[in-house]
Amino acid sequence: MKNKYTITYLVLLVLTSTTAVFSNIFSGLKAISILILILSALKFLLVAFNFMELKKAHLFWKVLLLIYLSVFVGVISVIF
Amino acid sequence: MKTTNYKNMYYPPGGILMWILIFLELFTFGIAIIVLVASSKENLEAFKTSATHLNTTYGAINTLFLLTSGFFMATSLHFFKRNNLKKAKLYLNLTILGGILFLFLKSVEYHEKIALGYVLGYDTFFNFYWLLTAFHVIHVLVGLVILTSLKKSIKKGKTLLEDFEASAAFWHMCDLIWLLLFPVLYLLF
Repeated sequence: MKNKYTITYLVLLVLTSTTAVFSNIFSGLKAISILILILSALKFLLVAFNFMELKKAHLFWKVLLLIYLSVFVGVISVIF
Repeated sequence: MKTTNYKNMYYPPGGILMWILIFLELFTFGIAIIVLVASSKENLEAFKTSATHLNTTYGAINTLFLLTSGFFMATSLHFFKRNNLKKAKLYLNLTILGGILFLFLKSVEYHEKIALGYVLGYDTFFNFYWLLTAFHVIHVLVGLVILTSLKKSIKKGKTLLEDFEASAAFWHMCDLIWLLLFPVLYLLF
């Protein structure tokens, strides 16, 4: 269990570094902006499902969070 | 230690009331961030120029502080569930330290922005920056009060698992909100 948290944490660090590198090297490209949003959404899900243990929760809560995140990323990607 | 059946819809980890609060907060910040991005369409160049005044390195380091703090929080809860109170307290202290470091760096960033004149009212981008980040800082402050209170109750041996889980969920919510704010404010434009 503790190992699961460590792996999640390491993945979060890699995703954060990747996001920072992408934004510095390819700034201004819309595709990169959307990629940054998707990577951030992935980090969001890792925290919610692994650190907050939402993956043990009833399907309702998981689906609600996924819908929220999809709408958030989708709307921003469309209007940006 | 007594455990909860999380598969029951009314008992998500942290409690149903905490999750209702979390979703309300996520909706509030989500709508505000969408309005920020929509507002940028009116004058994208001005938003891009203002965004360059933000220090991405500060934002990235603060992300690391909160993610590390979240990792310690999850680990602390893990040890609490196994009745290892000594390690639970140790990791809880580290969680609090992560939050304090976040606030310290945020204060440095705020100080620099104020010194340069990028205050509330400077332009639309900075209005959103101040309102969104300050509202988030208030959440972190409340989270630190909750965690400090939790630490005291552990010392007295009066902590219930439900209380620990709810406190942890609130702290992770601060992570979640920051993970939405950081890319949009610091990286998107």
